[in-house]
Amino acid sequence: MLRVKAGDVDRMGLLFERYHRKLFGFLYHMLGRADTSEDLVQTVFYRMLKYRHTYTADGEFRTWMYHLARNVLADHIKKNRHSTHHADVADFAEKIGGGTQADESLQREQEVATLHQALSHLSAENREVLILSRFQELKYGEIARVLNTTEGAVKVRVHRAMNELKTIYLRIEN
Amino acid sequence: MDMNCEQAQQELLDYLSKELPAEEQTRVEAHLAHCAGCQEELQALRQVWHTLGAVPVPEPSENLRPAFYSMLAAYKEEEAAKPTFSLTGIWEKMQAWLVPGSALRLAYGLGLLVMGLVAGYWLNSSPKAVAPATADQQQLAALTSQVEQMRQVMLLSLIENPSATERLRAVSYTKELSGANDRVVDALLSTLNHDENVNVRLATLEALAQLAHEPNVRLGLVKALKNQDSPLVQSALADVMVQLQERRSVQPLRRLLNQPGLNKAVKSKIEESLKNLSNGRPAAPSTTEPYHETDYTPQPADPAGTAV
Repeated sequence: MLRVKAGDVDRMGLLFERYHRKLFGFLYHMLGRADTSEDLVQTVFYRMLKYRHTYTADGEFRTWMYHLARNVLADHIKKNRHSTHHADVADFAEKIGGGTQADESLQREQEVATLHQALSHLSAENREVLILSRFQELKYGEIARVLNTTEGAVKVRVHRAMNELKTIYLRIEN
Repeated sequence: MDMNCEQAQQELLDYLSKELPAEEQTRVEAHLAHCAGCQEELQALRQVWHTLGAVPVPEPSENLRPAFYSMLAAYKEEEAAKPTFSLTGIWEKMQAWLVPGSALRLAYGLGLLVMGLVAGYWLNSSPKAVAPATADQQQLAALTSQVEQMRQVMLLSLIENPSATERLRAVSYTKELSGANDRVVDALLSTLNHDENVNVRLATLEALAQLAHEPNVRLGLVKALKNQDSPLVQSALADVMVQLQERRSVQPLRRLLNQPGLNKAVKSKIEESLKNLSNGRPAAPSTTEPYHETDYTPQPADPAGTAV
Protein backbone atom coordinates (compact mmCIF):
# COMPACT_ATOMS: atom_id res chain seq x y z
CA MET A 1 0.00 0.00 0.00
CA LEU A 2 2.91 2.32 0.67
CA ARG A 3 3.93 1.95 -2.95
CA VAL A 4 0.43 2.82 -4.04
CA LYS A 5 0.57 5.83 -1.81
CA ALA A 6 3.84 6.86 -3.40
CA GLY A 7 2.08 6.99 -6.75
CA ASP A 8 2.46 3.43 -8.01
CA VAL A 9 -1.27 3.09 -8.58
CA ASP A 10 -0.90 -0.16 -10.51
CA ARG A 11 0.05 -1.89 -7.30
CA MET A 12 -3.57 -1.54 -6.31
CA GLY A 13 -4.27 -4.52 -8.54
CA LEU A 14 -2.19 -6.69 -6.24
CA LEU A 15 -4.10 -5.56 -3.20
CA PHE A 16 -7.35 -6.15 -4.99
CA GLU A 17 -6.39 -9.73 -5.82
CA ARG A 18 -5.33 -10.40 -2.28
CA TYR A 19 -8.18 -8.83 -0.37
CA HIS A 20 -11.31 -8.48 -2.45
CA ARG A 21 -12.80 -11.82 -1.37
CA LYS A 22 -12.40 -11.06 2.30
CA LEU A 23 -13.81 -7.63 1.80
CA PHE A 24 -16.71 -8.99 -0.18
CA GLY A 25 -17.35 -11.54 2.57
CA PHE A 26 -17.42 -8.84 5.21
CA LEU A 27 -19.84 -6.69 3.25
CA TYR A 28 -21.96 -9.67 2.33
CA HIS A 29 -22.37 -10.70 5.94
CA MET A 30 -23.15 -7.18 6.95
CA LEU A 31 -25.71 -6.58 4.20
CA GLY A 32 -26.87 -10.01 3.17
CA ARG A 33 -26.94 -8.97 -0.47
CA ALA A 34 -24.35 -10.10 -2.98
CA ASP A 35 -25.01 -7.53 -5.70
CA THR A 36 -24.87 -4.54 -3.37
CA SER A 37 -21.78 -5.95 -1.68
CA GLU A 38 -20.00 -6.07 -5.02
CA ASP A 39 -20.81 -2.45 -5.67
CA LEU A 40 -19.49 -1.53 -2.27
CA VAL A 41 -16.26 -3.51 -2.77
CA GLN A 42 -15.72 -1.30 -5.79
CA THR A 43 -16.43 1.81 -3.74
CA VAL A 44 -13.99 0.77 -1.02
CA PHE A 45 -11.19 0.26 -3.53
CA TYR A 46 -11.97 3.58 -5.14
CA ARG A 47 -11.71 5.29 -1.78
CA MET A 48 -8.40 3.58 -1.15
CA LEU A 49 -7.06 5.24 -4.27
CA LYS A 50 -8.59 8.57 -3.52
CA TYR A 51 -7.60 8.71 0.11
CA ARG A 52 -4.33 6.86 -0.18
CA HIS A 53 -2.50 9.78 1.40
CA THR A 54 -4.31 9.04 4.67
CA TYR A 55 -2.71 5.62 4.88
CA THR A 56 0.14 5.53 7.34
CA ALA A 57 2.83 2.92 7.41
CA ASP A 58 2.39 2.10 11.08
CA GLY A 59 -1.19 0.88 10.64
CA GLU A 60 -1.81 -2.50 9.10
CA PHE A 61 -3.39 -2.45 5.67
CA ARG A 62 -6.25 -4.78 6.68
CA THR A 63 -7.22 -2.52 9.53
CA TRP A 64 -7.29 0.48 7.26
CA MET A 65 -9.32 -1.43 4.67
CA TYR A 66 -12.02 -2.41 7.16
CA HIS A 67 -12.03 1.10 8.48
CA LEU A 68 -12.85 2.42 5.00
CA ALA A 69 -15.30 -0.42 4.42
CA ARG A 70 -17.23 0.51 7.55
CA ASN A 71 -17.51 4.09 6.38
CA VAL A 72 -18.71 3.00 2.96
CA LEU A 73 -21.21 0.70 4.63
CA ALA A 74 -22.48 3.44 6.91
CA ASP A 75 -22.93 5.77 3.91
CA HIS A 76 -24.76 3.07 2.02
CA ILE A 77 -27.12 2.32 4.90
CA LYS A 78 -27.82 6.00 5.41
CA LYS A 79 -28.71 6.34 1.75
CA ASN A 80 -30.92 3.25 1.58
CA ARG A 81 -32.62 3.39 4.90
CA HIS A 82 -35.93 2.20 3.50
CA SER A 83 -34.84 -0.74 1.43
CA THR A 84 -34.94 -4.19 2.97
CA HIS A 85 -31.84 -5.90 4.23
CA HIS A 86 -30.94 -9.52 4.33
CA ALA A 87 -33.33 -10.47 1.61
CA ASP A 88 -30.97 -13.13 0.24
CA VAL A 89 -30.33 -14.66 3.63
CA ALA A 90 -33.99 -14.91 4.50
CA ASP A 91 -34.81 -16.56 1.18
CA PHE A 92 -31.92 -18.89 1.56
CA ALA A 93 -32.88 -19.87 5.09
CA GLU A 94 -36.49 -20.43 4.19
CA LYS A 95 -35.70 -22.64 1.24
CA ILE A 96 -33.47 -24.94 3.22
CA GLY A 97 -35.23 -24.62 6.55
CA GLY A 98 -38.41 -26.05 5.02
CA GLY A 99 -36.95 -29.49 4.46
CA THR A 100 -37.55 -32.36 6.92
CA GLN A 101 -35.02 -34.86 5.63
CA ALA A 102 -33.10 -36.69 8.29
CA ASP A 103 -30.06 -36.89 6.09
CA GLU A 104 -27.04 -35.84 8.12
CA SER A 105 -25.48 -33.50 5.60
CA LEU A 106 -28.79 -31.82 5.11
CA GLN A 107 -29.21 -31.45 8.81
CA ARG A 108 -25.83 -29.80 8.95
CA GLU A 109 -26.82 -27.55 6.12
CA GLN A 110 -29.93 -26.63 8.02
CA GLU A 111 -27.92 -25.78 11.09
CA VAL A 112 -25.74 -23.51 9.08
CA ALA A 113 -28.73 -21.86 7.48
CA THR A 114 -30.33 -21.34 10.85
CA LEU A 115 -27.19 -19.78 12.17
CA HIS A 116 -26.92 -17.60 9.15
CA GLN A 117 -30.43 -16.46 9.83
CA ALA A 118 -29.61 -15.91 13.49
CA LEU A 119 -26.62 -13.83 12.45
CA SER A 120 -28.84 -11.58 10.41
CA HIS A 121 -30.97 -10.97 13.48
CA LEU A 122 -28.06 -9.68 15.50
CA SER A 123 -27.67 -5.97 15.94
CA ALA A 124 -25.31 -4.54 13.33
CA GLU A 125 -22.85 -3.65 16.05
CA ASN A 126 -22.62 -7.19 17.39
CA ARG A 127 -22.69 -8.78 13.96
CA GLU A 128 -19.78 -6.63 12.93
CA VAL A 129 -17.41 -7.78 15.68
CA LEU A 130 -18.36 -11.40 15.12
CA ILE A 131 -17.71 -11.17 11.40
CA LEU A 132 -14.43 -9.45 11.93
CA SER A 133 -13.21 -11.96 14.46
CA ARG A 134 -14.69 -15.18 13.04
CA PHE A 135 -14.73 -14.67 9.29
CA GLN A 136 -12.02 -12.14 8.77
CA GLU A 137 -9.88 -13.66 11.51
CA LEU A 138 -8.79 -10.38 12.94
CA LYS A 139 -7.26 -10.30 16.39
CA TYR A 140 -8.99 -8.27 19.10
CA GLY A 141 -6.25 -5.68 18.84
CA GLU A 142 -6.81 -5.24 15.12
CA ILE A 143 -10.56 -5.02 15.54
CA ALA A 144 -10.01 -2.41 18.21
CA ARG A 145 -8.04 -0.34 15.72
CA VAL A 146 -10.73 -0.71 13.06
CA LEU A 147 -13.41 0.42 15.48
CA ASN A 148 -11.31 3.02 17.25
CA THR A 149 -11.79 1.44 20.62
CA THR A 150 -9.83 -0.61 23.15
CA GLU A 151 -8.98 -4.27 23.03
CA GLY A 152 -10.89 -4.86 26.26
CA ALA A 153 -14.03 -3.30 24.84
CA VAL A 154 -13.79 -5.47 21.74
CA LYS A 155 -13.42 -8.59 23.84
CA VAL A 156 -16.50 -7.74 25.85
CA ARG A 157 -18.47 -7.00 22.71
CA VAL A 158 -17.48 -10.27 21.02
CA HIS A 159 -18.57 -12.23 24.09
CA ARG A 160 -21.85 -10.42 24.26
CA ALA A 161 -22.43 -10.94 20.55
CA MET A 162 -21.63 -14.61 20.83
CA ASN A 163 -24.12 -15.06 23.67
CA GLU A 164 -26.79 -13.17 21.80
CA LEU A 165 -26.19 -15.27 18.71
CA LYS A 166 -26.40 -18.46 20.73
CA THR A 167 -29.72 -17.39 22.23
CA ILE A 168 -31.21 -16.45 18.86
CA TYR A 169 -29.90 -19.65 17.32
CA LEU A 170 -31.46 -21.85 19.98
CA ARG A 171 -34.72 -19.95 19.74
CA ILE A 172 -34.96 -20.45 15.96
CA GLU A 173 -33.96 -24.09 16.18
CA ASN A 174 -36.61 -24.98 18.71
CA MET B 1 -5.61 -21.24 41.93
CA ASP B 2 -8.87 -22.41 40.50
CA MET B 3 -11.24 -20.08 38.65
CA ASN B 4 -14.97 -19.95 39.23
CA CYS B 5 -17.62 -20.61 36.57
CA GLU B 6 -18.17 -16.96 35.77
CA GLN B 7 -14.50 -16.35 35.11
CA ALA B 8 -14.19 -19.54 33.11
CA GLN B 9 -17.17 -18.78 30.90
CA GLN B 10 -15.72 -15.40 30.07
CA GLU B 11 -12.65 -17.13 28.72
CA LEU B 12 -14.43 -19.95 26.90
CA LEU B 13 -14.64 -18.18 23.56
CA ASP B 14 -10.99 -17.25 23.60
CA TYR B 15 -10.26 -20.78 24.66
CA LEU B 16 -12.10 -21.99 21.59
CA SER B 17 -10.40 -19.65 19.22
CA LYS B 18 -7.07 -20.35 20.90
CA GLU B 19 -6.46 -16.72 21.73
CA LEU B 20 -5.59 -17.40 25.34
CA PRO B 21 -2.06 -17.33 26.64
CA ALA B 22 -0.81 -20.80 27.60
CA GLU B 23 -1.11 -20.18 31.31
CA GLU B 24 -4.76 -19.14 31.04
CA GLN B 25 -5.43 -22.08 28.76
CA THR B 26 -4.37 -24.55 31.46
CA ARG B 27 -6.42 -22.76 34.07
CA VAL B 28 -9.56 -22.99 31.93
CA GLU B 29 -8.85 -26.67 31.26
CA ALA B 30 -8.43 -27.30 34.97
CA HIS B 31 -11.79 -25.75 35.65
CA LEU B 32 -13.52 -27.59 32.82
CA ALA B 33 -12.20 -30.91 34.08
CA HIS B 34 -14.46 -30.82 37.11
CA CYS B 35 -17.34 -28.56 36.03
CA ALA B 36 -20.08 -30.20 33.97
CA GLY B 37 -22.00 -26.94 33.58
CA CYS B 38 -19.14 -25.19 31.90
CA GLN B 39 -18.46 -28.20 29.71
CA GLU B 40 -21.99 -27.97 28.45
CA GLU B 41 -21.61 -24.28 27.89
CA LEU B 42 -18.42 -24.88 25.97
CA GLN B 43 -20.15 -27.50 23.86
CA ALA B 44 -22.95 -25.09 22.90
CA LEU B 45 -20.51 -22.34 22.20
CA ARG B 46 -18.36 -24.63 20.11
CA GLN B 47 -21.31 -25.66 18.02
CA VAL B 48 -22.27 -22.09 17.29
CA TRP B 49 -18.68 -21.03 16.69
CA HIS B 50 -17.95 -23.84 14.29
CA THR B 51 -21.25 -23.55 12.50
CA LEU B 52 -20.58 -19.87 12.17
CA GLY B 53 -17.33 -20.74 10.48
CA ALA B 54 -19.25 -22.88 8.02
CA VAL B 55 -21.65 -20.14 6.98
CA PRO B 56 -21.01 -19.88 3.28
CA VAL B 57 -19.94 -16.74 1.55
CA PRO B 58 -20.87 -16.68 -2.10
CA GLU B 59 -18.13 -15.98 -4.57
CA PRO B 60 -18.22 -12.49 -5.98
CA SER B 61 -19.47 -12.54 -9.53
CA GLU B 62 -17.38 -12.49 -12.67
CA ASN B 63 -18.08 -8.80 -13.11
CA LEU B 64 -16.22 -7.63 -10.06
CA ARG B 65 -12.69 -8.03 -11.38
CA PRO B 66 -13.15 -6.31 -14.76
CA ALA B 67 -15.14 -3.60 -13.03
CA PHE B 68 -12.27 -2.99 -10.64
CA TYR B 69 -9.64 -2.80 -13.36
CA SER B 70 -11.66 -0.44 -15.50
CA MET B 71 -12.18 1.73 -12.43
CA LEU B 72 -8.43 1.69 -11.82
CA ALA B 73 -7.70 2.64 -15.41
CA ALA B 74 -10.25 5.43 -15.31
CA TYR B 75 -8.75 6.68 -12.09
CA LYS B 76 -5.27 6.73 -13.58
CA GLU B 77 -6.47 8.73 -16.55
CA GLU B 78 -8.22 11.17 -14.29
CA GLU B 79 -5.06 11.47 -12.24
CA ALA B 80 -2.93 12.07 -15.31
CA ALA B 81 -5.32 14.77 -16.47
CA LYS B 82 -4.67 16.77 -13.34
CA PRO B 83 -1.13 16.03 -12.24
CA THR B 84 -1.27 18.75 -9.64
CA PHE B 85 -3.50 16.57 -7.51
CA SER B 86 -1.27 15.53 -4.68
CA LEU B 87 -0.75 16.43 -1.11
CA THR B 88 2.10 18.77 -1.95
CA GLY B 89 0.06 20.32 -4.73
CA ILE B 90 -2.76 21.12 -2.37
CA TRP B 91 -0.31 22.44 0.17
CA GLU B 92 1.28 24.73 -2.38
CA LYS B 93 -2.09 26.03 -3.41
CA MET B 94 -2.96 26.72 0.18
CA GLN B 95 0.31 28.52 0.69
CA ALA B 96 -0.28 30.64 -2.35
CA TRP B 97 -3.56 31.61 -0.77
CA LEU B 98 -2.31 32.21 2.71
CA VAL B 99 0.98 33.88 1.98
CA PRO B 100 0.69 37.54 0.85
CA GLY B 101 0.03 37.63 -2.87
CA SER B 102 -3.58 37.61 -3.89
CA ALA B 103 -5.18 37.86 -0.47
CA LEU B 104 -3.18 40.93 0.44
CA ARG B 105 -3.77 42.55 -2.88
CA LEU B 106 -7.46 41.96 -2.45
CA ALA B 107 -7.40 43.54 1.00
CA TYR B 108 -5.47 46.48 -0.38
CA GLY B 109 -7.96 46.95 -3.19
CA LEU B 110 -10.91 46.75 -0.84
CA GLY B 111 -9.27 49.20 1.54
CA LEU B 112 -8.75 51.71 -1.24
CA LEU B 113 -12.32 51.27 -2.40
CA VAL B 114 -13.71 51.92 1.06
CA MET B 115 -11.56 54.99 1.45
CA GLY B 116 -12.65 56.26 -1.94
CA LEU B 117 -16.27 55.81 -0.99
CA VAL B 118 -15.80 57.56 2.32
CA ALA B 119 -13.98 60.44 0.67
CA GLY B 120 -16.61 60.72 -2.04
CA TYR B 121 -19.39 60.69 0.50
CA TRP B 122 -17.68 63.39 2.49
CA LEU B 123 -17.14 65.64 -0.46
CA ASN B 124 -20.68 65.23 -1.72
CA SER B 125 -22.60 65.42 1.49
CA SER B 126 -21.31 68.74 2.76
CA PRO B 127 -20.74 71.03 -0.15
CA LYS B 128 -22.82 73.86 1.35
CA ALA B 129 -21.13 74.02 4.69
CA VAL B 130 -18.57 76.78 4.91
CA ALA B 131 -16.56 75.67 7.88
CA PRO B 132 -16.03 72.07 6.74
CA ALA B 133 -13.71 73.24 3.96
CA THR B 134 -10.73 72.93 6.23
CA ALA B 135 -12.24 69.87 7.87
CA ASP B 136 -12.49 68.29 4.45
CA GLN B 137 -8.90 68.97 3.80
CA GLN B 138 -7.94 67.49 7.10
CA GLN B 139 -10.01 64.45 6.37
CA LEU B 140 -8.39 64.08 2.98
CA ALA B 141 -4.96 64.46 4.46
CA ALA B 142 -5.78 61.75 6.96
CA LEU B 143 -7.05 59.48 4.22
CA THR B 144 -4.01 60.12 2.09
CA SER B 145 -1.71 59.22 4.90
CA GLN B 146 -3.70 56.06 5.52
CA VAL B 147 -3.38 55.03 1.90
CA GLU B 148 0.30 55.71 2.21
CA GLN B 149 0.53 53.45 5.23
CA MET B 150 -1.32 50.69 3.45
CA ARG B 151 1.08 50.89 0.54
CA GLN B 152 3.98 50.57 2.92
CA VAL B 153 2.43 47.51 4.52
CA MET B 154 1.81 46.01 1.09
CA LEU B 155 5.36 46.65 0.05
CA LEU B 156 6.81 45.14 3.18
CA SER B 157 4.70 41.98 2.84
CA LEU B 158 5.11 41.46 -0.87
CA ILE B 159 8.85 41.95 -0.86
CA GLU B 160 9.17 38.63 0.99
CA ASN B 161 7.13 36.80 -1.63
CA PRO B 162 8.73 33.76 -3.27
CA SER B 163 7.62 34.94 -6.70
CA ALA B 164 9.94 37.43 -8.39
CA THR B 165 6.98 39.07 -10.13
CA GLU B 166 5.41 39.85 -6.77
CA ARG B 167 8.67 41.27 -5.45
CA LEU B 168 8.97 43.50 -8.52
CA ARG B 169 5.47 44.71 -7.84
CA ALA B 170 6.43 45.44 -4.25
CA VAL B 171 9.39 47.50 -5.35
CA SER B 172 7.20 49.44 -7.75
CA TYR B 173 5.05 50.61 -4.86
CA THR B 174 7.91 52.82 -3.68
CA LYS B 175 7.23 55.10 -6.63
CA GLU B 176 3.83 55.85 -5.13
CA LEU B 177 5.22 56.61 -1.72
CA SER B 178 5.98 60.23 -1.02
CA GLY B 179 8.65 59.39 1.49
CA ALA B 180 9.96 56.15 2.82
CA ASN B 181 10.31 55.32 6.47
CA ASP B 182 13.21 53.40 7.89
CA ARG B 183 11.50 50.05 7.64
CA VAL B 184 10.84 50.48 3.94
CA VAL B 185 14.39 51.64 3.29
CA ASP B 186 15.78 48.70 5.23
CA ALA B 187 13.61 46.28 3.30
CA LEU B 188 14.69 47.76 -0.04
CA LEU B 189 18.37 47.76 0.85
CA SER B 190 18.13 44.18 2.03
CA THR B 191 16.48 43.24 -1.26
CA LEU B 192 19.19 45.05 -3.19
CA ASN B 193 21.86 43.10 -1.36
CA HIS B 194 20.30 39.69 -1.09
CA ASP B 195 17.61 39.11 -3.69
CA GLU B 196 18.52 36.26 -5.99
CA ASN B 197 16.85 37.77 -9.05
CA VAL B 198 18.82 40.34 -11.04
CA ASN B 199 15.69 42.07 -12.32
CA VAL B 200 14.39 42.58 -8.83
CA ARG B 201 17.75 43.97 -7.71
CA LEU B 202 17.87 46.38 -10.65
CA ALA B 203 14.35 47.60 -9.99
CA THR B 204 15.20 48.05 -6.33
CA LEU B 205 18.26 50.06 -7.21
CA GLU B 206 16.17 52.32 -9.40
CA ALA B 207 13.67 52.81 -6.61
CA LEU B 208 16.39 53.57 -4.11
CA ALA B 209 18.07 56.05 -6.42
CA GLN B 210 14.90 58.13 -6.29
CA LEU B 211 15.10 58.16 -2.53
CA ALA B 212 18.77 59.12 -2.54
CA HIS B 213 18.10 62.50 -0.94
CA GLU B 214 17.84 60.58 2.31
CA PRO B 215 21.29 60.22 3.88
CA ASN B 216 20.72 56.66 5.05
CA VAL B 217 19.74 55.60 1.53
CA ARG B 218 22.93 57.09 0.11
CA LEU B 219 25.02 55.34 2.69
CA GLY B 220 23.21 52.07 2.04
CA LEU B 221 23.88 52.35 -1.66
CA VAL B 222 27.58 52.96 -1.10
CA LYS B 223 27.74 49.93 1.14
CA ALA B 224 25.83 47.84 -1.36
CA LEU B 225 28.66 48.15 -3.87
CA LYS B 226 30.73 45.41 -2.31
CA ASN B 227 27.80 42.99 -2.15
CA GLN B 228 27.03 42.87 -5.85
CA ASP B 229 28.25 40.09 -8.04
CA SER B 230 26.09 40.66 -11.09
CA PRO B 231 27.80 42.83 -13.75
CA LEU B 232 24.46 44.42 -14.61
CA VAL B 233 23.87 45.61 -11.08
CA GLN B 234 27.50 46.66 -10.63
CA SER B 235 27.33 48.88 -13.69
CA ALA B 236 23.97 50.34 -12.74
CA LEU B 237 25.18 51.05 -9.24
CA ALA B 238 28.29 52.79 -10.59
CA ASP B 239 26.01 54.96 -12.75
CA VAL B 240 23.97 55.91 -9.73
CA MET B 241 27.09 56.84 -7.82
CA VAL B 242 28.17 59.16 -10.61
CA GLN B 243 24.73 60.71 -10.80
CA LEU B 244 24.74 61.33 -7.07
CA GLN B 245 28.36 62.47 -7.14
CA GLU B 246 28.83 60.33 -4.11
CA ARG B 247 32.49 60.61 -3.22
CA ARG B 248 32.27 58.00 -0.50
CA SER B 249 31.84 55.45 -3.24
CA VAL B 250 35.37 55.97 -4.59
CA GLN B 251 36.94 53.56 -2.12
CA PRO B 252 34.52 50.67 -2.64
CA LEU B 253 34.65 51.21 -6.40
CA ARG B 254 38.44 50.99 -6.39
CA ARG B 255 38.21 47.81 -4.33
CA LEU B 256 35.72 46.42 -6.79
CA LEU B 257 38.13 47.23 -9.59
CA ASN B 258 40.80 45.06 -7.98
CA GLN B 259 38.50 42.10 -7.68
CA PRO B 260 39.75 39.14 -9.66
CA GLY B 261 37.49 37.96 -12.44
CA LEU B 262 35.70 41.28 -12.80
CA ASN B 263 33.81 41.60 -16.03
CA LYS B 264 35.75 43.64 -18.61
CA ALA B 265 32.87 45.87 -19.55
CA VAL B 266 32.17 46.57 -15.90
CA LYS B 267 35.84 47.30 -15.35
CA SER B 268 35.96 50.00 -17.99
CA LYS B 269 32.64 51.30 -16.76
CA ILE B 270 33.96 51.68 -13.21
CA GLU B 271 37.16 53.30 -14.43
CA GLU B 272 35.08 55.85 -16.30
CA SER B 273 32.90 56.38 -13.23
CA LEU B 274 35.94 56.93 -11.04
CA LYS B 275 37.26 59.49 -13.48
CA ASN B 276 33.93 61.29 -13.40
CA LEU B 277 33.81 61.26 -9.65
CA SER B 278 37.33 62.64 -9.21
CA ASN B 279 36.68 65.36 -11.80
CA GLY B 280 33.57 66.35 -9.97
CA ARG B 281 31.80 66.52 -13.26
CA PRO B 282 28.05 66.09 -13.20
CA ALA B 283 27.13 62.80 -14.59
CA ALA B 284 26.36 62.45 -18.21
CA PRO B 285 24.00 59.70 -19.08
CA SER B 286 26.06 57.06 -20.75
CA THR B 287 25.47 57.13 -24.46
CA THR B 288 27.84 54.35 -25.36
CA GLU B 289 26.91 50.77 -24.93
CA PRO B 290 29.34 49.87 -22.17
CA TYR B 291 28.37 46.27 -21.93
CA HIS B 292 26.64 43.70 -23.95
CA GLU B 293 24.04 41.73 -22.14
CA THR B 294 24.35 38.47 -23.90
CA ASP B 295 28.05 38.23 -23.16
CA TYR B 296 27.83 37.58 -19.51
CA THR B 297 24.35 37.85 -18.05
CA PRO B 298 24.29 35.13 -15.48
CA GLN B 299 20.50 35.02 -15.48
CA PRO B 300 18.06 35.87 -18.25
CA ALA B 301 17.26 39.55 -18.11
CA ASP B 302 13.59 39.02 -18.74
CA PRO B 303 11.83 42.34 -18.14
CA ALA B 304 8.65 40.55 -17.03
CA GLY B 305 10.60 39.05 -14.20
CA THR B 306 10.70 35.31 -14.38
CA ALA B 307 9.41 33.67 -11.26
CA VAL B 308 12.30 32.09 -9.41
